[in-house]
Amino acid sequence: MIDINKFDKVLKKVEKPARYIGMEKNSIKKDLNKVKVKFAFAFPDIYEVGMSHLGLHILYNLINNEEDIACERVFAPWIDMEEEMKKENIPLYTLENKEPISNFDFVGFTLQYEMSYTNIINMLHLGGIPILSKDRKEGAPFVIAGGPCGYNPEPIADIIDFFVIGEGEEVTLEILERYKEFKEKKSSRLDFLKEASKIEGVYVPELYQVYYKEDGTIDRMEPIIEGVPKTIKKRIIKDLDKTFFPSKLIVPYIETVHDRIPLEIFRGCTRGCRFCQAGMIYRPVREKSVDNLLETAEKLVKSTGYENISLTSLSSCDYSQLQLLVSELMNRYEKDKIGVSLPSLRLDSFSLGILKEIEKVRKSGLTFAPEAGSQRLRDVINKGITEEDLTTAVSYAFSEGWSTIKLYFMIGLPTETDEDVLGIKDLGYMVKDMFFNQPKDKRKGNLKVTLSAACFVPKPFTPFQWVGQDSIDEFNRKINLLRNNIRDKKVTFNYHDPKLSYLEAVLARGDRRLSKALIKAWEKGCKFDGWSEKFDFDKWIEAFNETGIDGDFYALRDRNIEEVLPWDFIDPGVTKEYLISEYKKAKKEELTRDCRLGCTGCGVNKCFTGGVCR
Amino acid sequence: MNLRVKFTKENYLKYISHLDLMRLFQRAFRRGNIPIKYSEGFNPQPKFSIANPLALGIASAQEYMDIELNENIPIEDFIKRMNQELPQGIRILDAKYIEESKSISSLISWSYYEIKFKANNIKDSEELDKLVKSWLKEDRIMIKKVKHKGKKAIEKDQDIRPLIGNIIISSQSPLASLQLINLNCLLKAGDNGNLKPTDFIDAMDGYLNIGIDFNTLNIKRLGLFVEREGKIEPPM
Repeated sequence: MIDINKFDKVLKKVEKPARYIGMEKNSIKKDLNKVKVKFAFAFPDIYEVGMSHLGLHILYNLINNEEDIACERVFAPWIDMEEEMKKENIPLYTLENKEPISNFDFVGFTLQYEMSYTNIINMLHLGGIPILSKDRKEGAPFVIAGGPCGYNPEPIADIIDFFVIGEGEEVTLEILERYKEFKEKKSSRLDFLKEASKIEGVYVPELYQVYYKEDGTIDRMEPIIEGVPKTIKKRIIKDLDKTFFPSKLIVPYIETVHDRIPLEIFRGCTRGCRFCQAGMIYRPVREKSVDNLLETAEKLVKSTGYENISLTSLSSCDYSQLQLLVSELMNRYEKDKIGVSLPSLRLDSFSLGILKEIEKVRKSGLTFAPEAGSQRLRDVINKGITEEDLTTAVSYAFSEGWSTIKLYFMIGLPTETDEDVLGIKDLGYMVKDMFFNQPKDKRKGNLKVTLSAACFVPKPFTPFQWVGQDSIDEFNRKINLLRNNIRDKKVTFNYHDPKLSYLEAVLARGDRRLSKALIKAWEKGCKFDGWSEKFDFDKWIEAFNETGIDGDFYALRDRNIEEVLPWDFIDPGVTKEYLISEYKKAKKEELTRDCRLGCTGCGVNKCFTGGVCR
Repeated sequence: MNLRVKFTKENYLKYISHLDLMRLFQRAFRRGNIPIKYSEGFNPQPKFSIANPLALGIASAQEYMDIELNENIPIEDFIKRMNQELPQGIRILDAKYIEESKSISSLISWSYYEIKFKANNIKDSEELDKLVKSWLKEDRIMIKKVKHKGKKAIEKDQDIRPLIGNIIISSQSPLASLQLINLNCLLKAGDNGNLKPTDFIDAMDGYLNIGIDFNTLNIKRLGLFVEREGKIEPPM
């Protein structure tokens, strides 16, 4: 345990000290001397962000359900806390037992976004754990990682001992079982890594060698010892009704980003938007039954006391029993003033009845994501919604009293023209006109339209994984085009920093040569890169220059279909042929239907069964 | 039905803010099945109010809140159910049904604090006691208060002398090389004048130049009081 006197001293000096104290309702503190394995679940961002992540709650409870294993949480301390901890020589510790993370058997990072990579390095450093995998000696924790960014693990291959690809519920326990045997036998670190590599879904980077061509692209990647799989197949849970879901959730003292019950209603998405990585890697769609969900909701309401239940998934309106589920939840909890919310509304599946039902208790602004400003471009990205879908949804929203509308877009999508870009403005103005075209006595509230543009980042395992990103200058030109054309008090335009998106593109599609640039950037002081006030682009460019990395090579270059991609050794179920055919269809502005309406041949049903792919 | 409740906020729970505490109670009420009343409207809120918000970092041995219930439940039941749901640092000590229509926050007029610290420029607690006694003889004790109005910060002078009540100074550990001073003080609290203990300490350190080591500063509220016909007494 860390020195509690020092701990008490630093708490007085930092903002939001409750981030660092633990002791929340439903947190689990075991006697660390009485368990066989100690697992530190590490989220490489601050407490408020990490505690909003459902995966943390699932794995935390899943692992702690094992009597002889303890799972404790650790988050990135904010800058002020880091300084105080350094002054007092307090190593990074877990919230439950205040135990330094270097005393754990595993430190498991979740990879939710690329811009958190420097925080991983920083947390290891603060925990006194060597940053490079090869420098960790016998007895040091195994540093492992999983989550969506693990689908291209290569940029942090030098740092992470092994990755878990896919859904973690089953494979985590398999790993921990294997580890118990290893610990009893007192085998070497390398022996355990070799053993772990035999578990399906586990990728041990140091057991592979990558060969490059003269032009810098990858020639091939090969296991360096026998028995190590050439491709890593992702893990999925076949039947979500039969898998573990916690009946308790830690209830934070301080307000977090998502301060409510996350009721996960299904995994996967059948829409097939071509820019969307989640839509491809989480296939196939697997729903939970209404009965199961109601039972879970009841347990969670009782154990947490939360006042809101959020129906989470990639596209919650697509849940086949949504009407029934929402009605049941409302019937049960309306009297207790517990609200239900749908975080991801899609225009086309915008169910008027459901929305009306939900708003009986609470009402907030409405957010839609048309993603592109013109029909042509929406067809390119396979976002199968029309302007009519938007007008229907918005006019209903206005008539029901909503007056705050947010529309999300991306700029820099493949084949985009200035006309497509200006379509974003047109949609915003159309919404405004719809509001004021209502008779004066029918208008409710004060109209506010927000148009928000993110810069497109091509991601692995999407049909756009070969596409070169727009340059920063080109992004800025498009942003200015919109800024100069949107001149209305009622319509607000905001946009993401193109520099951040450029870096995200480098890291998302990078290879293992990037590890040294990441470490260099961290040495220069980069951390919390996802926080705009902390992001220092110039330092990153310096780090690239000093380590011989050309960012444009990864972000801007159009890649050949034949090129070996750094993540090709991972099998997410969706085939490369499918991604290629989708890429070609995109260029021809051809749509691919929602695969709930009939299989579109992505290939996931050949490796995995379950859900709609039965 | 209105219930007046006395509770603690101690140990690490002093690090949660007033709003955090409100949320914590709201969720504990629900978990404990307490039949609390809700406000009307689109965003129903449970009806309860905490007497005098405590600043972050200050513990308390006695806090009060009033809550409105839909139905009468036995007091022992209420205390038991709540204490099962609350973290260790927060305990319900007592509760009582009240007739009073005045809100608890408007009743409170004094807060009693225990303040512990080390000070570099004084020998012992007796020396501080003398200094404070003569300090309190001043007609006016002025501090600068910064008020935020929108984006503007306005600095204002304020005389805090009328906001300071009794002060008792003792020493905690006579053996320690630098003595830990124990200062108990009664400060005005509530709508008719409010003095934060941190402002009081800053003023004392500024006026008397005693060199407080703020690393060692620990503040705990010992109680809240109402004033009835010149007499100071507990609110329940």
